[in-house]
Amino acid sequence: MPNMELQLGLALPTPNMIKGFDLNNHRLDHLKQRGCFSNKSKRSFEQAFGNFKQDGKTKTLLLWSGQPNEEEDHKDQKKTTFSTIDDNDDEEVEQVVGWPPIKTWRKKIFNQPNGVGGIENNRVADKENGRSIYVKVKMEGVAITRKVDIRLYLSYQTLSNSLITMFSKDKKCGDDDSTRYILTYQDKEGDWLIAGDIPWQSFMRCVQRLKIIRNRD
Amino acid sequence: MQKKMMYSFPDDVLEHVFSFIQSDKDRNAVSAVCKLWYEIERWCRRKVFIGNCYAVSPRVVIKRFPEVRSIELKGKPHFADFNLVPDGWGGYVLPWIVEMAGAYPCLEEIRLKRMVVTDESLELIAKSFKNFKVLVLFSCEGFSTDGLAAIAAGCKNLRELDLRESEVDDLSGHWLTHFPETCTSLVSLNISCLGSDEVSFSALERLVGRCPNLKSLRLNRAVTLDKIANILRRAPQLVDFGTGNYASELPPDVLLNLAGAFSSCKELKSLSGFWDVVPAYLPALYSVCSRLTSLNLSYATIQNPEIIKLVSRCPSLQRLLVLDYIEDSGLEALASSCKDLQELRVFPSDPFGGEPHVSLTEQGLVTVSLGCPKLQSILYFCHRMTNAALVTIAQSCPNLTRFRLCIIEPKTADYLTLEPLDVGFGAIVEHCKDLRRLSLSGLLTDRVFEYIGTYAKKLEMLSVAFAGDSDLGLHHVLFGCESLRKLEIRDCPFGDKALLANAAKLETMRSLWMSSCTVSFGACKLLGQKMPRLNVEVIDETEPPDSRPESCPVEKFYIYRSVSGPRFDKPPFVWTMDEEGKIMH
Repeated sequence: MPNMELQLGLALPTPNMIKGFDLNNHRLDHLKQRGCFSNKSKRSFEQAFGNFKQDGKTKTLLLWSGQPNEEEDHKDQKKTTFSTIDDNDDEEVEQVVGWPPIKTWRKKIFNQPNGVGGIENNRVADKENGRSIYVKVKMEGVAITRKVDIRLYLSYQTLSNSLITMFSKDKKCGDDDSTRYILTYQDKEGDWLIAGDIPWQSFMRCVQRLKIIRNRD
Repeated sequence: MQKKMMYSFPDDVLEHVFSFIQSDKDRNAVSAVCKLWYEIERWCRRKVFIGNCYAVSPRVVIKRFPEVRSIELKGKPHFADFNLVPDGWGGYVLPWIVEMAGAYPCLEEIRLKRMVVTDESLELIAKSFKNFKVLVLFSCEGFSTDGLAAIAAGCKNLRELDLRESEVDDLSGHWLTHFPETCTSLVSLNISCLGSDEVSFSALERLVGRCPNLKSLRLNRAVTLDKIANILRRAPQLVDFGTGNYASELPPDVLLNLAGAFSSCKELKSLSGFWDVVPAYLPALYSVCSRLTSLNLSYATIQNPEIIKLVSRCPSLQRLLVLDYIEDSGLEALASSCKDLQELRVFPSDPFGGEPHVSLTEQGLVTVSLGCPKLQSILYFCHRMTNAALVTIAQSCPNLTRFRLCIIEPKTADYLTLEPLDVGFGAIVEHCKDLRRLSLSGLLTDRVFEYIGTYAKKLEMLSVAFAGDSDLGLHHVLFGCESLRKLEIRDCPFGDKALLANAAKLETMRSLWMSSCTVSFGACKLLGQKMPRLNVEVIDETEPPDSRPESCPVEKFYIYRSVSGPRFDKPPFVWTMDEEGKIMH
């Protein structure tokens, strides 16, 4: 494949079947006449992405305020930094608008168990507001922290069964079947307690995090 | 000896022959043969597909095809799904309904995608088309349950009402009661997008009970588990079922009852729904699993081993939608159990989390590709990828027609070699000769576009984000992809040169979307001026684009071909230029 170097002012090859219509030539003449053709108008990738301005109004990452000489200001900026730009969304910190490309209603699956409208769940008596309660679960000796939706479980038994199977493949070689584990949780006051002492419903309301530790007794 | 020429056949013979030709492409070819065939064909075309509702006006369509029974329209650009298109952009169906109400009294089917549908439109449909049968509103918005009530009440022979993924203003669940007791014609009902807490359940039950031909039923989240068994028992002929809420704290005999209800549905091949699923109730499905060809678990927050248990029981599975909770281990089970798999979609459970909290990697996809050579369609969200993995996938699945990979962090390189993923995607386009749709992600240079332009000759739709180095990338695609119809690009360093050099190409495509690139307003103006059959629409919500120098880049633009000129329903933030290059508004 020939190295097609793009040069300013040269027409690019066009396919035979389509009548070649290269507007580059038209445009260059047109703009040269008007005296506003500027070499600075084409930004390099880094400069373009470094030029991040937040005007507080739009959600877009790149806000082209359009002054060609702004390139100079941002020469030191490193490559793309994707930082939070939309402060309106409390629950989801969206880093770049529309990325990753997931439809809006899919994002709502996890936050609003009652559908897009977020209507209160009054069907099942015990659940107060029906929202998913995700807690982080860390197992001693395992690198990956997982998350579970506590609301999916009916009892300590079902929760621990699920956790056992979830982490079973992460068991270290050193452990044998006789290694016992204890499920602990952090409550709203920040204290770490052994799971199982309080009724399940109360537990669901106050659990913040879970940790599975080896029983060293 | 007298030769019988083709054109001496009587018109109705030709018409009869044409009636066997269903595909739009073939119909278009037929109409281009000669004037006579054009005339005959246009009078007997019953189905029209319009991929961009602004490409042609309703009057022009009606004038050419006076006897249409079925119409399909698409409105907003695809990137509207991801909030890149501001509200109020357009895609209104009402003007179409108004025109068709007068011209097509026998209209039976309306299928819409990404359009704005008002209650007024729905009421007009219910009033105007006496034999109306099919209404599909895919990803639409702008209407409420009042409009649905009008449809239910007014369309006496309604067969299909499918609201998939639409946003409905839920005023009341009672719209279902508007289906008259005489309505027994329903074949398909999809209300999965509704949020209403009170879907009038008794009305739904009665409706289901009196429609013996009901084959597809997708409930919404408001329908609880205890009610599903009743529904299933009234419709054992169902082929496709979407459960509602699959959570419960009910006594154990519910499980038995549910299992019994499922097993009585001998035709059931497709399942979806499963909101809030509690793993304990999944075994109720087991009797159905061996027949399942399609399973959508993408709203279900179940994890392994429940997913594995379910999937391993479905050897006939052709289509699976699932969250990344399936992990590599689950995909391994899938690969060994489901040899007929044709479509796989894996969605992220925590797209904005940053750190992956599930063990789903490129390996999972490789395993599936090795185990399921019949794969045609892949949509995969993950955190890391390698060129080697992509090459393996490409070689193992040469029948791929759709490949969409989303590596969640933009511009992520091959995590082993730290190289761009050009070679990997290059292998995909090289080996998968029938590839029609491709979405790129990861670190990509102009090289990948060179591969695409060289090999992807059947590619119709390409989605690009955070990729490329220069205009050369865009040029490769526009120059080389002969079948390209839709191109959507965001956050790439593509500017004026490639676009202007390939201006004529744009007339062979349906549409081009570019946002956060470096195309200048001057180039947009020039295109708008010189290409009268293209509508060049600049989207700028802050100020008129001509209040800045012409060399300044535009934030977003959408170019599409049209035979009906610029549209008249533009919102204030959409700017087009007239022949003199003046901003029109």
